[in-house]
Amino acid sequence: MSNEQKASVLQGTLDLMVLLTLATLGPMHGYAISARIEQVSKGAIQLKMGTLYPGLLRLAQRGLISAQWDRTETHRRARYYSITAAGRRQLKTEKMEWARMTAIMEALALEGDAG
Amino acid sequence: MKFRLVEWWRRWWETFRHRDDGEAEEELRFHLEMAEEDALRRGEDVREARLRAGGVAQAAEEVRDQRTIRWLGDFLRDIRHGIRLLRRSPVFSAAAIVSLALGIGANTAIFSLIDAVMLRMMPVHEPEQLVQFRRDVSYPLFRQFGQELRCFTDMFAQSSMGRRDVVFDGEPEAVSAELVSGNYYSMLGVVPYVGLVFYPEMDMKPAPVAVISYAYWQRRFGSDPGVIGRSFRWNGRGFMFIGVTPPEFHGVIPGKAPEVTLPLSMAGEILDGSGWFTSDSRFWLQVMGRLRAGHTIERAQAEVTTNYSRVIRAEAEHYKSNEFRRQHILAQQMLLEAAGNGFDVLRSRFSEPLQLLMGTVALILLIACANLANLLLGRATTRRREIAVRLAMGAGRGRILRQMLAEGMLLASIAGVLGVLLAWWSANALVVMMSNGGEPIALNLRPDLRVLVFAAVISVVACLLFSLAPAIQATGKGIQPGLAEARLGAGWRWGRGLIAAQVAISAVLLIGAGLFGRTLLRLYTVEAGFQREDVVLISVKTDRSGLQGHALRERILESLRSMPGVLSASFEMSPLSYKGWEISVNVEGYTYGPNEDDLVHVSYIAEDYFQTLRTPVIVGREFNGRDTATSPMAVVVNEAFARRYFHGQSPVGKWVNFKGDPERMEIVGLAKDIRSRSLRGDIPAALYVAAAQASRPPSGVYILRGAGIAGIVDSALKRVDAKLRATDVRTLDESLSRSILQQRMLGTLSGLFGVLSLVLVSVGVYGVMAFQVARRQKEIGVRMALGARPIQVIGMVLRETAVPVGAGVGIGLVSASGLTRVAENMLYGVSPTDPVSFAGAGGLLLVLTFVAAYLPSRRAARLSPVETLRCE
Repeated sequence: MSNEQKASVLQGTLDLMVLLTLATLGPMHGYAISARIEQVSKGAIQLKMGTLYPGLLRLAQRGLISAQWDRTETHRRARYYSITAAGRRQLKTEKMEWARMTAIMEALALEGDAG
Repeated sequence: MKFRLVEWWRRWWETFRHRDDGEAEEELRFHLEMAEEDALRRGEDVREARLRAGGVAQAAEEVRDQRTIRWLGDFLRDIRHGIRLLRRSPVFSAAAIVSLALGIGANTAIFSLIDAVMLRMMPVHEPEQLVQFRRDVSYPLFRQFGQELRCFTDMFAQSSMGRRDVVFDGEPEAVSAELVSGNYYSMLGVVPYVGLVFYPEMDMKPAPVAVISYAYWQRRFGSDPGVIGRSFRWNGRGFMFIGVTPPEFHGVIPGKAPEVTLPLSMAGEILDGSGWFTSDSRFWLQVMGRLRAGHTIERAQAEVTTNYSRVIRAEAEHYKSNEFRRQHILAQQMLLEAAGNGFDVLRSRFSEPLQLLMGTVALILLIACANLANLLLGRATTRRREIAVRLAMGAGRGRILRQMLAEGMLLASIAGVLGVLLAWWSANALVVMMSNGGEPIALNLRPDLRVLVFAAVISVVACLLFSLAPAIQATGKGIQPGLAEARLGAGWRWGRGLIAAQVAISAVLLIGAGLFGRTLLRLYTVEAGFQREDVVLISVKTDRSGLQGHALRERILESLRSMPGVLSASFEMSPLSYKGWEISVNVEGYTYGPNEDDLVHVSYIAEDYFQTLRTPVIVGREFNGRDTATSPMAVVVNEAFARRYFHGQSPVGKWVNFKGDPERMEIVGLAKDIRSRSLRGDIPAALYVAAAQASRPPSGVYILRGAGIAGIVDSALKRVDAKLRATDVRTLDESLSRSILQQRMLGTLSGLFGVLSLVLVSVGVYGVMAFQVARRQKEIGVRMALGARPIQVIGMVLRETAVPVGAGVGIGLVSASGLTRVAENMLYGVSPTDPVSFAGAGGLLLVLTFVAAYLPSRRAARLSPVETLRCE
């Protein structure tokens, strides 16, 4: 998969991945989010800063996550993101939608395999 | 969706907050450091990790794009940049803004008049269903229509009474009044602001009540609700106020805002005369109907035409013996017209001049735009290097175009706001001019949405017009020639075209001004047959005076003559108009041909009539105190009469008589032809009869000669009878200027706009030439160093101006010769291709533009070559 293809896959699902990560692991800074996503995807998804940070900002502007400056364990300043109540509600609906979509896709794929 | 909105709102807010605190970059640097540390820890390639994360600068840019709205931010920056540029050259900015504001203001002013007179719908229930009858009708016909026409759900009648006297407490005061049928308010859907309005049953049961307008309530009674229930007297009859109409309702006739409305059913008691409700030949009502839902005006017209043809056939029966009259009656039509914007009174009178003026001001705006385009073009040329540098550094061409448009928009919107203010003020001045001393025209000129939208649209269009050409010109050439610094006279091609266009438009406007100005001049200098200065016309209300008839007229004239300052006084039925009576006459020694017209104009005048008007009596005498009821009948005729019946020979001593009346009347005098107050049109053959010899005393108007005597009229009347009152005192001058109102309006305004266009064009030519000369200083310096004399330098500049100006004048004259025909029927005594106006406009433009070009060229020629060369 080329970088561009990866990016286009990411566009729609980045929001969902970020929300999921923050909902599971609690407040994190941007780098940790990208490292987590990279680790979970076994390196298949590598987020460039130019994709990640505008995405985080967009989620913050929509009120789905909030951002706060804080210190890391090594006492360095970093911006920590955490999911808001609105974010959790949104995540719930998006997860359901995602499940519905994957079910449809699977059904289609099975049919395709059968034929 | 909600989240999207919140996002956009935050971005919008951030854009205006305009703050970049560097937090994003700190965050990005932290990210990069963490990535490097991780890579080190894992023993991976640090450079590889850095590449994977991407560049800080690029990411920061993308974060910024998400944080704010980019185009909006750019736009705001452009506006700030524009403001800086405008402040840097205040003279340029002021000139640009003022000329554009004049253009936009003039357009908006004329448009707001057109809006108020022709377009604006009345604030009533479903105005688009309203239809007016084009002819006034009698009361019986109004009732017949109401009962028989099926296309209308309802129909009201109204009659304007002009200004009438009412008495609240003591002194009479004049109010503008209207009689309306009982269903007037309910049909229009106008609900009272205070109290009650009339109701349909009132037509059957007359009640002495009145409704007043909001404006009058406010002005006269200080918005006191206690006025409801108060009474006033009208013609000796008591009336009671029952309500106030809402503030936005100004009646159904644009330009007339009745202060008091009374029930139509009271007409019999407050109007003089009789038969208001019974006579079918008294046409005094204007009728408006409301179309049934789904009916078109065409369908209603068909029904009305059928119904009305029965009416006129019945009427024509009365004239069996007179075929001419019968045909005339049968040819009558009752036309309908959409009346959602009210009865047509001003529309037909002013729509033509207003449309003409709209065209004129649109041309003014074009000139202003061309000026601005030229000035901006000049500035764009000096900024060429800056723009070329920015293009070279990668700024998009669109971005630079947008920036230049933003500057234009800034100019246009400042000018637009100023223009609307200017329009508001000048439209009111125009309305004063339109009413011209007569009954004031009450137009609602508060700028409504339509006017504001109009102003905004023309501002935007103007902006596009004047900023696009320079913008394209500045960015179109690309980087190379721009950086290499433009050749001499770059942009000059555009400039020349614009000058030619401006000059052509101005030529058209000046020719128009010339034609209307000369029309006005003709009207003022026309051989009128009388001297208009120091004459006062007086209408007197006599019905409550003790004396009546001939005796009263004699006493009033006597009293007026005895007042200091009065040189002479007389009387005529309808002074200086040929609207009075037409009577068939027999004339001594004249035999009519088979189909010859035997009607002449007849007017009753008192003694000293011609002396008062300073009209020469060519042969014989005018009436004097010895022409009485008992003396032999005498008449005076005018030159037109003498030409027609005596072929120019003296008519004095001959006799005439009215057909059907055998009494012969001797012609005792021949007076010079007198023009009617309109000053236009042919003068009919006229016969003047002494008022004292009329069998029924004629009503009419008193005529006084003397300087500054309008003030003495009341005391002169009081000396005759305390109950006499002058209802109208007006100088002949005022009356004349009112009758030539359309010509005065067009003459004055087109002159004003012509001068404005001339100023704009001169400023434009001056600006462009000054700029060209400044740019060519080096070349001029070289020429002069090589021995060119100042006069040659001046000649060179003038020759360059001559081409576009000459072309412009040529195009202007040719297009004007086609365009002026449009205005032909608004001209008098001047042909639409009047050579004086054409030559004058062309000459004026040539002279002024050459002066405008000469000034900068002289300055250039005076510079010392050394200095100009050192500049570079």
